[in-house]
Amino acid sequence: MKAKKRVMTTSAGVPTPKRTPTVRKIKPAWVGPSSVSSATTSGKRPTTTRPGEVGADPARGMDPIAALGIGDVAGSASPDGLRASRAGIDAGMVDLSVDLGRGLVLENPVMVASGTFGYGVEYGEVVDVERLGAICCKGTTLRPRQGNRPPRVTETPAGMLNSIGLQNPGVDAVIERYAGLWAGWRVPVIVNVAGESIDDYVAVVRRLESVPGVAGVELNISCPNVGKGGLQFAIDRDAAAAVTRAVRAATDLPLIVKLSPNVADVRPIAQAVADAGADALSAINTLSGMALRADRTGPFLGNTYGGLSGPAIKPVALRIVYEVAQVVDIPIVAIGGITCLDDVLDYLAAGAVAVQVGTAIFADPTLPIRLVDDLRAECASRGLAAYGALVGTALPQRPGPPVSKGAEYRP
Amino acid sequence: MRLIDAELVESRRILPGQWIQWYHAPALAASVRAGQFVHVRTGDWSGLVLRRPFTVNTADAATGIVSIHFREVGRGTAWLTHLRAGDRLDMLGPLGQGFQVDPRSRHLLLVAGGLGIADVRLLVDEAIRDGRQVVLLFGARDASEVYPSSFLPDELEYVVATDDGSVGHHGLVTDLVLDYEAWSDQAFACGPLPMLGTLAALAAGRTKRLGVATLGRKRGAGRPIPIGSAQARRKAYLQVAMEQNMGCAVGACLGCVVWGVEGPQRVCREGPVFAANEIDWEAAVGAGAHKR
Ligand SMILES: Cc1cc2nc3c(=O)[nH]c(=O)nc-3n(C[C@H](O)[C@H](O)[C@H](O)COP(=O)(O)O)c2cc1C
Ligand code: FES
Repeated sequence: MKAKKRVMTTSAGVPTPKRTPTVRKIKPAWVGPSSVSSATTSGKRPTTTRPGEVGADPARGMDPIAALGIGDVAGSASPDGLRASRAGIDAGMVDLSVDLGRGLVLENPVMVASGTFGYGVEYGEVVDVERLGAICCKGTTLRPRQGNRPPRVTETPAGMLNSIGLQNPGVDAVIERYAGLWAGWRVPVIVNVAGESIDDYVAVVRRLESVPGVAGVELNISCPNVGKGGLQFAIDRDAAAAVTRAVRAATDLPLIVKLSPNVADVRPIAQAVADAGADALSAINTLSGMALRADRTGPFLGNTYGGLSGPAIKPVALRIVYEVAQVVDIPIVAIGGITCLDDVLDYLAAGAVAVQVGTAIFADPTLPIRLVDDLRAECASRGLAAYGALVGTALPQRPGPPVSKGAEYRP
Repeated sequence: MRLIDAELVESRRILPGQWIQWYHAPALAASVRAGQFVHVRTGDWSGLVLRRPFTVNTADAATGIVSIHFREVGRGTAWLTHLRAGDRLDMLGPLGQGFQVDPRSRHLLLVAGGLGIADVRLLVDEAIRDGRQVVLLFGARDASEVYPSSFLPDELEYVVATDDGSVGHHGLVTDLVLDYEAWSDQAFACGPLPMLGTLAALAAGRTKRLGVATLGRKRGAGRPIPIGSAQARRKAYLQVAMEQNMGCAVGACLGCVVWGVEGPQRVCREGPVFAANEIDWEAAVGAGAHKR
């Protein structure tokens, strides 16, 4: 029954020489369509060539798209795949699979974001969860949490604020109630993990290790670190790296670390987390914000502050993905305000290999699945057998000089 | 629960700023129970990202028509008022737990404050259809906000209170409740939190005041009924429909909670209808007194 793909590949760390000491090399596959164009001109390739791998540069030792696991076997052993790639192909043949590292292979790159899709069961028959790329479940802590006092959500211009406060039944209850169900699903479920200390995170992840139905973990590091006076892990480079390292040492599960936008410069944090052993990064979590009561007698949310999400944050998230993509060479999962295919294409162009849809699900629960179809159709109409050629097209071809100032503010 | 493509049949402003809209949505009309709601997608032309929850106000399975009753309070509801007959609306529903009427209850007391009438309106129809006697106590600020009796069935006893005395009882609707507490087998309410809190306090003292046993098995046989279960709610004298801002409306985001005696309760999933004794009234009235 369990057909989840946990294929080990060698893709995690293709060593690439750094061009500059401080700025890492851009992943070659993510840059430009040149890697695909060679495919269309190489009519003499054996018919067993995989369309997703076309354009492999032998000089690099390994096809970069394949290295990222984007695109795999659609139309393999079929000459049609190549012929079609010249001028539009059948959408059914487009392969949207992606490998986020350590064998976490998604059938498509459209995931649902933590906190907006519960445990995958709440939308019932309204959403066919099996067609999603992956599900990130609600933030899970070691012990049950009741969360913040209401009200917890309010709409804002092109967005919303939430202050749920990590309400959840605790990791043991999550495993008991849902893991059995997840194990029977084809869609991988990634458990979003939160904690107040490194020990918390490690303890949660240890419990998730080798539980059937748990395909990976996503660390929500936008949590106060009790050991450091409540300073969030996500805004403290050393703490972010330390928690990543500790979790990495504790588990073989695929490990995604989720970055916070509430920092001056996200790049050193992203680098530190990548160096500490994260398999992939996701970005971004919500932006800190607040709203007032209608009579302006105080804050509206029971918790005073909340996290801003929705289309309003997309430019911020796009900037962060763009910045992070230039300094790490592990896969990036983009999150923030996605409501349509153009948003997905923007994030891919900025260097992400997958996306998560959050707030938009509330208005349009079937959106993520439609985005899968839309992306497939987009690839087909461009004659792409896989979407790797769409990744990183907006990144600078050469890394610029290292920037040592804070977040680059571009007025 | 499903996504429903509803077609607007008629839209009428029934009171200043208050509208009732009738939609053709046969699947919903056939399945919705009193107290349940739909989550309505508004146009996103002005950056609205959340749906709006509306209790189903009336439902007629024979014609496939359902109605919603709302006040124009923001851009989402303003958008709704501009819809014309034939326009389509995306509704997710029916959602949540409705009212639980004990089959043995003969006399139902319904209490509504202002727009809270929308939450109990369908219960009026269901109860009368089932041959029960219904009294509806309705409270409003003044005569201009009083729900028109022409929208209510004749079988109903409709008693009005206004804050300024311009119609009916001069004072709070909760003043009227004691007159009916002995007569009624069960009570159902929706309205502002302070009103619900007062009703909950009254309900808690009722058994003692009346010196009678409540409905249900007298002997202690059987297992204790878990709080929040449909059975426990059926046995409760007072059920209340709660309101809260919502995100998903299906139980996924935990955005819509009110505080219960056993911790946070999702209005969209465990509610919107709760037995009054499930709610931590001190916390609920304190937190919800301010609307945005
Ligand atoms: C109601 C709500 C609850 C959330 N809960 C979590 C959570 O538990 N853990 C987490 O890492 N992110 C959480 N998030 C953040 C989202 O996963 C996502 O990063 C953010 O909403 C931005 O994406 P969006 O604009 O598509 O919503 C939550 C967001 C919302 C709106
Ligand atoms: S509105 Fe999302 S849980 Fe109730």
